[in-house]
Amino acid sequence: MSVLKKCFHVKKRDFISAGEASINIQNILKSMQIDPKLIRRIAICGYEGEMNVVMHGGDGMVCAEINTDNIVLDISDNGPGIEDIRLAMQKGYSTATDEYREMGFGAGMGLPNMEKNADLFTIESEKGKGTRVRMVFHMRR
Amino acid sequence: MRSVLGPGCYVHFDRDLCTGCTDCVRACPTRAIRVQNSKSALIVDQCIGCGECLRVCPTGALTAATSELEEVAQDQISVAIVSPVLYAQVAEVMPQDVLRGLRRMGFQHTMDLSYQIELFQAATREFIERNRTAPQAPWPLISPVCPVVLRLIDVQFPSLRPHVLPFLRPTALLARDVKPRLIQEYGVEEAAVVLYHITPNRSSLPGERSYVDKVLGINDVYSELMRHLQPSPTPPPIPLAHDPPEQDRFKYGTTSKGVLWGMSGGEIAGLDTDRSLAISGLSETIAYLQKIELGLFRDIEYIEFRTCPAGCVGGKHAAVDKYLAQSALQKLARMLGAGQNVTRDQIINLYNAGWFVAAPDDTEPVYRSGMHREPLTIASLQEIDTLLEKIQGKDCALCGAPNCRTFAEDVVRSRASLRDCFLMCKRERSGPK
Repeated sequence: MSVLKKCFHVKKRDFISAGEASINIQNILKSMQIDPKLIRRIAICGYEGEMNVVMHGGDGMVCAEINTDNIVLDISDNGPGIEDIRLAMQKGYSTATDEYREMGFGAGMGLPNMEKNADLFTIESEKGKGTRVRMVFHMRR
Repeated sequence: MRSVLGPGCYVHFDRDLCTGCTDCVRACPTRAIRVQNSKSALIVDQCIGCGECLRVCPTGALTAATSELEEVAQDQISVAIVSPVLYAQVAEVMPQDVLRGLRRMGFQHTMDLSYQIELFQAATREFIERNRTAPQAPWPLISPVCPVVLRLIDVQFPSLRPHVLPFLRPTALLARDVKPRLIQEYGVEEAAVVLYHITPNRSSLPGERSYVDKVLGINDVYSELMRHLQPSPTPPPIPLAHDPPEQDRFKYGTTSKGVLWGMSGGEIAGLDTDRSLAISGLSETIAYLQKIELGLFRDIEYIEFRTCPAGCVGGKHAAVDKYLAQSALQKLARMLGAGQNVTRDQIINLYNAGWFVAAPDDTEPVYRSGMHREPLTIASLQEIDTLLEKIQGKDCALCGAPNCRTFAEDVVRSRASLRDCFLMCKRERSGPK
């Protein structure tokens, strides 16, 4: 089965270009004219994931794998990792610094939002090594 | 050469004047223009009528199709629906005298939009209030006023369609309301009543979501209007269903709210929410639509978008400088004072009767008739990637496409040949190293 894979680097604290990976992925999905509602969900998840890398992670990678049945977003970073994933998945829980909160982030909705919008959501993290989030979206044509 | 495609498109190319410089090709936000054979540009698809190509064309090869002023004399009942931006073009002249000037030019009736603007603003407030606590409300709401924004959403941000406030814009509300009344008043056929929209930005085709019949750019009427700015007798008012009590639309006329509408921020100024934004200019509009799509601004209630810089005063058919016009509007608004023409009862009655709501036909996506691009498959996207590696281009646009990616897409769609790439041809000619 043919798969289209696109990967984009995301740099820590690079707020200027944050969102570009998601926009690039969106544009590909738009050119395929997949369901706008699905595009929106993928956009939101991609952006939340990208922002997590920018704020918490080290350098990271946003990859999209597109085949005729589904789209996989794979977001990984080599940052500090998450100590307690169960806690991190709770709505409103955030380890964002005051600086990021002042910028309007850190509502603690990132991971819960991603879980809500993805059809399948997995997260792995190891302290000191990094975090990897994989989200699967089913194409419903 | 006439090359008009898609319902949003009103652009004409003059093949003799076009040098094939590709300025318009690069400026087009929907990548709808190509230059063929290094000579002349033409529209291939998805024109949304933003007019950026008109702004950048250095030779005047691009023009907007507008109606001719002479047509007014031939119409049995001609009605001018006037954008408040027109008042800003003739500083020191009060709105009622501008409207008189238009009547002296041959329009039987002239309609100021202030009243509809106030109705629209109050209805928007009402919509926000009623939906504020609804968890499903699509925040932020996007203003439906600028037609280019609506087409941009249809073509590039279809997932944002639920965010668009489901109302008709004031011009369309007025046109939809007034036409049947005029037909009845004069006892004429529908074709006898012709509604002209006098606008700083030729952005909507007659019919499409606008209910007007013809469009005149402000610069089309400007010089004639200047010659007709003298007092003239006021014609009898046209009674409207929701008319103010004294039944005199002209005395009732222009208000500061209506006037400020012509500049960026004017629409949200009348809203009772501090959680609103006003964004103007095409590239800013695109950037912020993109942000909304990524899920940002969910705590904002309403966003006013205008694709022209500084708002409608920056329309490409305006006659005077946009910042001077903005200043003139502010001055006029101060002179008119903070009056309010509409009452809460009026709004509630019209709102509950569904008067503001756009009919399904009005909000049909513009994807029809030539606007449609075939979806790309995974295989074709892979092919495009392979081509891009092969081209190793610099987005020079010499092939006539705005960038290498679009060119590769065109090749995959069989709309262009790889031989059109100058860089590749040059490499081939200099042979393998």
